[in-house]
Amino acid sequence: MSEILLLVEAKDGALDKKSLELMQGALGLGRQLGVATCAVVAGSDTARLAESAASFGLDKVYRLEHPLLAGFQPDAWVKGLEWLCGQVNPGIFLLSHSFVGKEVGPRLACRLNTALTTDCLGLSVDPGDGLLVRTKPIYGGNAIASLKCEGVPQMATVRKNAFEPVGEAQSASAIVEMVPDIGEDAIRVKSIKMVEQEVVELDKANVVISGGRGIEAKEDFDMLEALAAAMSKSHGNVMIGCSRPVVDKCWMSSDRQVGLTGTIIAPDTYIAVGISGAIQHLVGMIRSKKIVAINTDPGCNMFKVADYGVVGDYRDIIPALVKKLEEQR
Amino acid sequence: MKEPQIIVCAKQIPDPEAPFSNVTVNVEKKQVAVDAPDVISPYDENALEAAIRIKEELGGKITILSMGRKVSDTVLRKTIAAGADALVLLEDPLFEGLDSGSTAHVLSCAIKKIGDWDLVLTGRQAGDWDSGQVGLIMGEMLDVPCVSLARSIKIDDGKLLVEKSVPVGYEMVEASLPALVTVSNEVGELRYVARSKMLGLLRRPMSIPKWNSKDLGCDIDRLKKLQLTELVPPADMGRQCTLIEGAAQDQACRLAEVLSELR
Amino acid sequence: MIPERPMFWGIDYSWLFYVIAFVAICIFAVGVGIHISVWRKSKSKSNTSISWQAVKQSLLEIVSGARLFKGDIAAGTAHFLMFWGFIILLIGTSLLAVHGHVYSFLTGTTYLAFGFFMEIGGLALLVGITWSLVRRYVQRVPRLERRLEDAVVALWLLVIACSGFLLEGVRLAAQRPGWDEWTALGPMIAGFFPQAAARSIYPGLWWGHGLLCLAFIAAIPYTKLFHLVGAPASYYLHHSPVTLSPDPEAAFEPGVQWDLAQRAFLDACTRCGRCVEACPSAGAGEPLAPRAFVQAARQSLWREERPAGDIRFLLDLDPVEDRSAWFCTTCGACLEVCPVYAAPFEAVGKKRAMLIEEGKGVPDLMNQTLERLFNYENPWVSSKRDRAAWAKGLDVPVIKAGGNNEGFCYFVGCTTSFDDRAQAIAVSFSALLKQAGAEFGILGDKEPCCGDIARVVGELGLFMEKMENCTELLDKFSVSDIVTSSPHCFHTFLNEYGDSSFRVRHYSSVLKELLAQGKLRPQNRVNATVTYHDPCYLGRHNRIFDDPRQVIRSIPGVKLVEMEHHGADSLCCGGGGGRMWQGQDIRGEARMSEIRIKEARGTGAGILVTACPLCLIMMEDALKTVGYEGEMKVMDLNELLLQSLSNG
Repeated sequence: MSEILLLVEAKDGALDKKSLELMQGALGLGRQLGVATCAVVAGSDTARLAESAASFGLDKVYRLEHPLLAGFQPDAWVKGLEWLCGQVNPGIFLLSHSFVGKEVGPRLACRLNTALTTDCLGLSVDPGDGLLVRTKPIYGGNAIASLKCEGVPQMATVRKNAFEPVGEAQSASAIVEMVPDIGEDAIRVKSIKMVEQEVVELDKANVVISGGRGIEAKEDFDMLEALAAAMSKSHGNVMIGCSRPVVDKCWMSSDRQVGLTGTIIAPDTYIAVGISGAIQHLVGMIRSKKIVAINTDPGCNMFKVADYGVVGDYRDIIPALVKKLEEQR
Repeated sequence: MKEPQIIVCAKQIPDPEAPFSNVTVNVEKKQVAVDAPDVISPYDENALEAAIRIKEELGGKITILSMGRKVSDTVLRKTIAAGADALVLLEDPLFEGLDSGSTAHVLSCAIKKIGDWDLVLTGRQAGDWDSGQVGLIMGEMLDVPCVSLARSIKIDDGKLLVEKSVPVGYEMVEASLPALVTVSNEVGELRYVARSKMLGLLRRPMSIPKWNSKDLGCDIDRLKKLQLTELVPPADMGRQCTLIEGAAQDQACRLAEVLSELR
Repeated sequence: MIPERPMFWGIDYSWLFYVIAFVAICIFAVGVGIHISVWRKSKSKSNTSISWQAVKQSLLEIVSGARLFKGDIAAGTAHFLMFWGFIILLIGTSLLAVHGHVYSFLTGTTYLAFGFFMEIGGLALLVGITWSLVRRYVQRVPRLERRLEDAVVALWLLVIACSGFLLEGVRLAAQRPGWDEWTALGPMIAGFFPQAAARSIYPGLWWGHGLLCLAFIAAIPYTKLFHLVGAPASYYLHHSPVTLSPDPEAAFEPGVQWDLAQRAFLDACTRCGRCVEACPSAGAGEPLAPRAFVQAARQSLWREERPAGDIRFLLDLDPVEDRSAWFCTTCGACLEVCPVYAAPFEAVGKKRAMLIEEGKGVPDLMNQTLERLFNYENPWVSSKRDRAAWAKGLDVPVIKAGGNNEGFCYFVGCTTSFDDRAQAIAVSFSALLKQAGAEFGILGDKEPCCGDIARVVGELGLFMEKMENCTELLDKFSVSDIVTSSPHCFHTFLNEYGDSSFRVRHYSSVLKELLAQGKLRPQNRVNATVTYHDPCYLGRHNRIFDDPRQVIRSIPGVKLVEMEHHGADSLCCGGGGGRMWQGQDIRGEARMSEIRIKEARGTGAGILVTACPLCLIMMEDALKTVGYEGEMKVMDLNELLLQSLSNG
């Protein structure tokens, strides 16, 4: 079997943590199959990124360099990666289930005449037929499916946190610079402008910390903010939400309200502080992957749906928790 | 400019809003049974809303395309009641349980058969498998400009203008027609369809073309079923609450560990 | 000389007056005719035989002005003065015509008495209209609008009254009759005019006054003065026993849906704004103006029914934002205070029905809620499964289809079944019923939704479906006697299901009966001061004010105090009319529920008792957001009663 290829992405100029996780998964498969594991970085100025990608024990890092690969133009990226696959013929091609992966993956799979599985939680190889077994959640996480597809390369996008981030290796990988053949005509969708927005979009958060009726004073939300700040260093996008009574008291704007009457969210982690768990609130957050509840009332509904429950006063627990999290770093 | 001919691909799925207690996973048969009525996948409803808004501004025609083995025209007539003009159902036992690429192939064949079209809209992903592939692959198969995650769609002077959701906000992009756009929920919910309108439609006889693989002339060898090797319920479905006990300090310590694990 | 008044004294071409009068009356009659023609376009059938009972009731209300005194004595008095002044002057003037042309009787003392009454009438009109103008333009009473029409109509009347007195004075100055008029103002004014001058200006003044009066009569159907005709019509139609509701199939056609009585109500509205003042939504700073809805409904009705256009002029209305239709709680406070029995919340309801039919502008949450109601028989959760979860382990009898079911069916209702707090109603009520040994059963997981939410938000098609479905199910289970938790279900079954064959009661009436029969004997003292919040659909809509209060009074140790707004004047909690499911984009400066809980707290009561699941949820929430926790409790009537019954 030929090599395993993975797409490395940058975030704020550095390697995205998701890519490090992807490397872990890919290297594991590579060892199991006894094939080379290679990464590709794409862009118009990839030297530094390739450099950093090269320190994790991969066999090769391809630098896909082209002016049209600057920024993220899906048309150009699909074309570039298609060209690369034509050159190196990977047996397995993995991407993160990220903004880039979600867009590039399906289109690339179609061009390579193969099948992609998105949002995988786990990957393994069936020793019988050598096909990649992809495990992914379906029906809103209510079932976990494992499936196989024909076609080469075997393609999947991998959800974040599926693997531990890879640790640095001793030897640096070889960096291969490649200039793909991308014509202007490949770009059919033109970017006109990028508009950055500062909006509260709770559904985009990885972690939502919500305060409810049990929060005694508006100032106490500062504790939640402190917790959010402590967690954002390690947990991605952490946002503050709330339940309806808090909005009713005008302590928070309504775009932060979680629940039937607010935003319906499914973050990786939901931390409910002083929320008893009225039905309209539960409807809005029940699909969170993990739920942590902090409440003084051990009988409250929130503990019935939570994965972890802390019975106690948030004013004692949260400051101690923030301290602890900061010590861990 | 001529009035835009829009095709909206809509998938029928069990109501994704159903609580998890209504979802049963049959490990042996590798099937998921959802005790919930069928609905149109929510993002596809967003796509239809986007299409209706374009139609309100520029006129034209909206055709709904839906594939499956047992698509219910009762469910899909909602699209007509909301403002679509025609419904085409793609039915064939061969169409059951197809993977994303094959689904895209069937839909593309149907779109080519319809012939006269300017814009294809689909939801960004279906509410059951959440793969998010079919739209993008169809863009490739139809060989047209393809924009994903639209939060607003306009046709201006024969050009397609889309606001595409990106992590930092949104990006304004432009493409020529014909084109394909996958639509995100920011577009807005499908307008409410009054029951009286639905009932009126259900009473009215309507010819709904049903095309099978032969009608479409699709490449049967290309139709690949999903190969499920295993289907299991998620491990953490029961939501057994692990209580963290002790003094506040100890609770905080343990919770910090838990949160680190959840990273 | 015998006192009398010569007709057309010093007036030439008096015949011209009659010609003009005839024309004025024709203009008046045509206007009224057009109104009636618009009313009669209603396709709903109504009773054609005359109800003398209704005539009597209407007349009583008209002459007493009772609806106008209600809640606003100043406005009531001012209107009473204007009304009677106008009537006296109208009758007086007519008598004068009879005297002149048919039978002369206004001579001697009779004439003097006539003059006296005319002066009283004139004074009443003058005082009434001046007071009204002061209220509107000096005091600037908030509920009153100051549109062009308001100024023109009022000033017109003022000029008529003033010119009448002036005319009388000038006449007396010119005639110098040899007898003492039994009047004060006339002779006083006469003192200002030398006889010659009076003689020369009198004819001009006479014509001026006369034409103003005739023009006024002609203008009645074309201004808000139409209430002179519209209000009596509304009164009669309100009291008349049968106004059949429209054909359900036609309910979706715009325009058709307004029945005759509703059309009369719309036309009778004078924009007095009592509804705005009474509206709890407007009171909480929300953009709902019931008056604006009535006017907008009237305009659109006229636009549909009369292609030639509306005949009202001087009416510069503000456009009504579609969005504001979603704020109404349908509490009925507006109808309670409306002098002409218009129900602005019905106008809002029809607007909602239109918006639902169009599909656009329906709040997202409402959209989802209606979908959920359609698919899952409840507005709360996307599943039918846990409907009877509250009854688990309580051994509540379940009614079986085709079985021999004794007693009544306890219809729990969606909110009571699914909301954690409201489930307490079902738990405590069933406990009470079991203590009383009452025969009853619930429908368990089979219980359907009565459709109330669909109806109040204007989704009439869905309501019909729910109604049919529910009736069918009740039939299947041979249910003929229903007791509901929610006043909303109670109202829907009782008043909106057409001629249904089952008996419907709210639980408060059942509790009262069980207490009266001695089946429930409250013994434990509950030492508390309580106040009772009347749910809108129990009290105002269905006039059950006393049953819950009797239940409260039966509890030893309980002291019942009333809030300022109670009974028919109760303030809505803000949860009705589908508001519970309309999300955060629909809210005002204050919360209705918070305004209400503050009023309750103000009575010094330690417990706020209510008898509706929606009120219970809203008030409980408000209690917490206002910060009264620990000081006060919100309880359902069942919970309170159970406290004095449970052993221990």
